[in-house]
Amino acid sequence: MFKARMAALTAALIVPAALAVAAPATAQQKVTIGVSLAQDDNPFYIAMLRGIRGRAQELGWDVATVSANEDKLKQINGVQDLIARGVKGILISPIDAVGVNAAYDAAAAAKIPIVSVARGSASPNQTIHVAMDEKQIGRDIAEWTARRLGGKGKVALLMGPSGAPTFRNLGDGYSEVMAKYPGIEIAFRADGPLTRERGVKQAEDVLVAHPDLAAIYTANDDVALGAMQAVNAANRKGKTLVTGMNGVPPALRAVKEENLAMTVELNPVEWGRLGVDVLAAFLKGDKVEPQVFIKHVIIDGANVDAKLPKT
Amino acid sequence: MKTTANTWNIAGQMPLISLILLCAATALLTNRFLSPFNLTNILVQSSIMAVIAMGMTFVIVGGGFDLSVGSTAALSGCVAGMVMLEAGIAAGVAAGILAGAAVGLANGVVIAFLNVNPFITTLGTMVLVRGIVFLITGGAPVSGESGLPSEFVAFGSGRFLGIHYLVWIPAVLLAVLSFVMHATPYGRRIYATGGGREAAYLSGVAVRRVIASTYVWCGGLAGVAGVMLAARLQSGQPTAGEFYELTAIAAVVLGGASLQGGEGTLYKSVIGVFIMIVLGNALNLLNVDSYWQRVAVGAVIIAAAAAERLRSHRASSQ
Repeated sequence: MFKARMAALTAALIVPAALAVAAPATAQQKVTIGVSLAQDDNPFYIAMLRGIRGRAQELGWDVATVSANEDKLKQINGVQDLIARGVKGILISPIDAVGVNAAYDAAAAAKIPIVSVARGSASPNQTIHVAMDEKQIGRDIAEWTARRLGGKGKVALLMGPSGAPTFRNLGDGYSEVMAKYPGIEIAFRADGPLTRERGVKQAEDVLVAHPDLAAIYTANDDVALGAMQAVNAANRKGKTLVTGMNGVPPALRAVKEENLAMTVELNPVEWGRLGVDVLAAFLKGDKVEPQVFIKHVIIDGANVDAKLPKT
Repeated sequence: MKTTANTWNIAGQMPLISLILLCAATALLTNRFLSPFNLTNILVQSSIMAVIAMGMTFVIVGGGFDLSVGSTAALSGCVAGMVMLEAGIAAGVAAGILAGAAVGLANGVVIAFLNVNPFITTLGTMVLVRGIVFLITGGAPVSGESGLPSEFVAFGSGRFLGIHYLVWIPAVLLAVLSFVMHATPYGRRIYATGGGREAAYLSGVAVRRVIASTYVWCGGLAGVAGVMLAARLQSGQPTAGEFYELTAIAAVVLGGASLQGGEGTLYKSVIGVFIMIVLGNALNLLNVDSYWQRVAVGAVIIAAAAAERLRSHRASSQ
């Protein structure tokens, strides 16, 4: 009897004890900003958070994070927790353009600025959106490819997941430029998940259908690395160009080894830093445009050495 | 007889004691916890999961298990949104709840009348229903050209007597369903069936129908939760509700229900939901790293299950 009661009490005490151990010392006088990213286990967002933390530290700010892991309700709840905590501003990467509007509404009701970084929201309460210029990136990739192909050849488009505006915009920008080259034909175009496995499979199929394919556009480096495997297996290295997007380290190495023709660097650390700077400017009362574009850099054989991670 | 839900001993009230201790500890660590804004927060955050956990309590008391509630909630939210855009809010809400009850009925029939294991059956429907959601929505959120009807969206954040509509729903449901479970012959049959199917059958309970009915409750309540979720998310979201089944089951077990069946109380399951939500809220307010949050939540679930095991061991050895 006594033993069981002790066990019950011990279990009841575990929670508060764990909290007491885990709670860091809080400094009340510092400015704290809240961060709610769509995922906390994706390398892109991990790097973005590193940039946010780094820049905030330079400004003498504290950063409070809440996780969402692609669960919209959890993201809304997390933002409410940040507001309850009394943060001065919120950086958010919304899971969906509509589904987490309640989070923006809550921030607006509490008169806290809420800045979207990367993904954006349709909410009228979004203070600022820091994003990449998706169409322009698509256009730049297409211009680079067309120049390298001398304005002629068949190309295939391995786009992103259907319904995601980012990948539609990238593809639209790309197609818009290619339409100006009469010698270039878009022979294949498909949506799909951003995985290496899909890149291999789809590129294999396309290369069977079009053995003379001159270039493969991919919406993401993982797809590109998959497509690259298929191209190499078909002995088309150097004959079928594969272009990537994101500039992750394995893709940079592939550019160095000339397996990948080019990729676009979207340095997520810089995104995080820019997000903090934009928020800081807004809090200071400076005028900030509602849409802030982050700059992107094309990486090919000419400049890859400077971008490779130092070993 | 095992410890009944009504026995007022310290172990029987462990869920409530844990919740109070958790709140007290958090309040000591941060003065923001007890602010009206945050307490409202916690109520709203708990509301949808509370409805799902009540349905799960029916199934678990009846000796079953339901993994499909998250997918069902997503289905109901999307069906409600699609019907609402065509035929108005009332029709949409009704269609959403009916869709949930239909999934529950399918689960119940397969489990009770075909004797298929509930874990496998509902694992199947979890995947199957998610597939149906993607098929009917084409994988895109349901919000029409200009969004769901504005009255419906307003319902997701509106209040009555200072309390959110989303909080009134589980409050009213808890009162009504507690009456069903504890004050009607039907309720007693659920406990009897879960406590010992053979004995219940021999004493004249139509056990198959009782078991099937618990799944209809569970599906229907998941449907209600799905409609609430759509109001909260201002859209029907095909990917919503992932892993809700696990949170709901954890909350029901935290509330002292036995996975062996025959034991469990609706209000304690709701306390279990509060423990899960307050824990998350506290960890966020205290700025605990999100990776550590997962560790803490997992540890709490295991600790609660272990305490439950010790308690029932003691009860059965008396």
